[in-house]
Amino acid sequence: MSKYILRRSLGLIPLLLGIVLISFTLMKLAPGGPQTQFNQNPRVTEEQIEAWLARWCIERTPNPLSIVREFGGWFGVFNCETDSFLSESGGLNFLPTALGGGDNGIIHGDLGLSIVSAQPVVDVIAERIPATLILTSVALVLWVTFAILLGVVAAVKRYSVFDQVVTFLAYIFYSLPTFWLGLMFIFFFSVTLRWFPPQGIVSARDWPPFNTPQYWEAFGMDPLAAILDIGAHLILPVTVLVLVNIAGDSRFVRASMLESLNQDYVRTAKAKGLKRNTVIMKHTFRNAMLPVVTNIALNLPFLFSGAIVTETIFSWKGMGLLFIEGVNARDYFLLMGLILITSTLVIVANLVADVVYAIVDPRIRYD
Amino acid sequence: MADTMEPADPLRATTAAASTDLKIAEAGTADYEVALESLNQWQLAWRRFRRHHMAILGSSFLFIMISIAVLGPIVWPYDPNDIPGALKPGGDAPSLDPLTHLFGTDFGGRSVLQLVIVGARISVSIGLFTMLIATTIGVTIGALAGFAGGRLDGFLMRFVDLMLAIPFLFVILVAARFFGGGDPLTLIIIFGLLFWPGLARLVRALYLSLREAEFVQAARAVGVSDTRITFRHILPNALGPIVVSATLIMAGAIVTEAFVSFLNFGIRATDVSWGNALANSQGYLLQGNWWWPFFPGMAIALTVIAVNFIGDGLRDALDPRSKE
Repeated sequence: MSKYILRRSLGLIPLLLGIVLISFTLMKLAPGGPQTQFNQNPRVTEEQIEAWLARWCIERTPNPLSIVREFGGWFGVFNCETDSFLSESGGLNFLPTALGGGDNGIIHGDLGLSIVSAQPVVDVIAERIPATLILTSVALVLWVTFAILLGVVAAVKRYSVFDQVVTFLAYIFYSLPTFWLGLMFIFFFSVTLRWFPPQGIVSARDWPPFNTPQYWEAFGMDPLAAILDIGAHLILPVTVLVLVNIAGDSRFVRASMLESLNQDYVRTAKAKGLKRNTVIMKHTFRNAMLPVVTNIALNLPFLFSGAIVTETIFSWKGMGLLFIEGVNARDYFLLMGLILITSTLVIVANLVADVVYAIVDPRIRYD
Repeated sequence: MADTMEPADPLRATTAAASTDLKIAEAGTADYEVALESLNQWQLAWRRFRRHHMAILGSSFLFIMISIAVLGPIVWPYDPNDIPGALKPGGDAPSLDPLTHLFGTDFGGRSVLQLVIVGARISVSIGLFTMLIATTIGVTIGALAGFAGGRLDGFLMRFVDLMLAIPFLFVILVAARFFGGGDPLTLIIIFGLLFWPGLARLVRALYLSLREAEFVQAARAVGVSDTRITFRHILPNALGPIVVSATLIMAGAIVTEAFVSFLNFGIRATDVSWGNALANSQGYLLQGNWWWPFFPGMAIALTVIAVNFIGDGLRDALDPRSKE
C-alpha cells in the first residue's frame, strides 16, 4: 500500500511539470501581453514600455529561447538579474539559496509578483481565498447533503412519483447553463422582486470592500449585521451552485444506492427478517456511500479554486474571478500561480480519492 | 422512465411482436404457423429507442433546431447586420411587444427571435462538429491504447492524464484568444482538440474489459480476425457508453461556446450566436429587459436537454444486454 502511494506520488511530479510547461507556453503564445494595459494611456512612451517589460524580464515578441528563459525564471533555474543560469553569488541558480543558488522561482518557494498589482502572487491569492471559501463551502455542504437525501429516497422509492420528479428535475438542472440560470435569478429575484442584492459580497453603500482591514474593523463593531449582509449576498450564487450540482450528484447517489440494494448481502439481510429501515440504513446506505465519499473528495479542490462561472455572474471577488481578471490582464505570474495551485489540488484530490477507495473497498487491488 | 415499467414480454426480444400477434389472431386455433422474423442488433436498438418517449421528443426538437440552423438564415428575410437602432444616439431601447417582434427586441432594435434563429447556425454546428472531432479522436486513441497495451498504452494514458489535469477553461480561454479572432471554425477545432480525453479513457477501459470477455475469447477461438473482432464483436458492446459520452460532449460544447462567448473570448461581436446574444444582454439586464437573455438562453437550455434525453434513450437502446 505505502509503495503504491509512494509510486503514485512520484508520478505526480512529471505530471505537474508538464501542466505548468504547457500552460506557460500557451500563455506566452497568446497575442498581446501585460503591456496592453498601457494602450489607452497616451502619456506612456514606447521606451517606457520597453523598460517596464525588461524589468519584468518579459520578451515582447516571444521566441522559443525567450519562453525557455522566462519559464526558467519562473521555475527558478534561470536568473533574470544575471541573465544566466548562475545566481548573483555565482553558484548555479537552481541550488538552494544557502548553497549559493538564487532565491527566485517556485523551487525556492517563490511564486513571484503579480504584474498588475506588483504584490506577491501569494498575497494576492491569499486575499481572495476567504471570499471563495465562504461561497464554496456553504454551497458544497448544502449540495452534498441534499444530493444524498434526494438520491437515497429516490432509490429506495424507485419508480415512485417522487423518484420520477427528482429524475426529471435533475435532468433539467443538469442541462441548464449555469450562467444563464444566474442571469435569470438576478433578473427575477433582484431586479423584479428586489429580494436579494444582484452582485458583490457586501453592500458597497454600507460596508468597506470585503476582506480589507477597514472591513474587519467595521465587522468587529457589528458582526451580526455584517454576517446578515454577506448572507443576503450569498443566497443567489449558492442557490445556483447547489441546484446545478445537486442534479448530477443525486443521480450518482441514486445509482450507487440502487446497486447496493441489489447485492446478495442485502437480500440475505432481508431474508433474515431484519426491519426494512435497518436493512436500508445499516446494510445498504453505508456501502452505497463509499463511491459517494470518494466523489466528494474529488470535489474538494473546488473549495479553493472557486466557481469561475458563478463568481463572474455575481461579481463575487473570489479565486474564480481572479482567474478571469488574470487572463484579461495577461498577468502571467498570477495565472501561473493559480494554475499551479489548482492543478496540484486536483491531482492530489484524485490520488486521495483513489487511495481512500482502495483502503475502504477490499475488492480493489492496487498493483 | 415510464417505458421500463411496461411488463416485459419475452417474445418481443426475438420476434416482430405486432405482426406475430396479428397473425395468431387471424389464424385462430386452426393453424399455429407463426412467422418468426429475426431482427438484428440495430433493429432491436431502434425498437427500444422508439419506446423512449423523452428521447423521441428530444430527437424531434434537435431535428427542428438543426433545420433552423441550416435553413433559418436563408429563409429568414432580414439581415442580422441590419441594426435599426445603430445610427440613433443611444440606440433603440429594448422593447417587448409580441405583436411586432415575438421575442422582443434588443438594444439595437433587432428582433430577439432573429438572434435565436441566426444564432442557431453557429451554436448547433459548434455542438455537432465538436462532437464529431472529439469522438473520432477519443475513440481512436482509446481503442489504440486499450488494444495495443504496453508502452503505447502507458504513453497515451499519461498524455490523457495531463490533458485532464490542466485547468480546462484556462486552455480554452487562452487558445480562443490566441487562435481565435472569434472565428466559429477555430472554436470548433479548439473544442474538438480539448473535449476528447475523458472519452479516450472510457473507451480504453471498455476495450480492456471487453478484450477479455468470454464472447471475444470464443470468437478468437473459432478464428475470427482481429479487425472483425474489433468492429463486429467489441464495438457494438462498447457503443452505448461511447454514444452517451458523445451526446454529453455535444451538450458540453454548446454550453461552453455560450460561456466562452459570454466572457468575450468566443464568437466575435459581428457574428450572432446564442452565447453572443447572452453576452450582449448582460449589461442591460438590470434595467429589466429579461426577454433579451431569456430566449437565447432558453434555446441553449432546450437544445442541451434534448441532446441529453437522446443520450439517455441511446444508452438504453444500444445496450446489447437490455432485455426489452
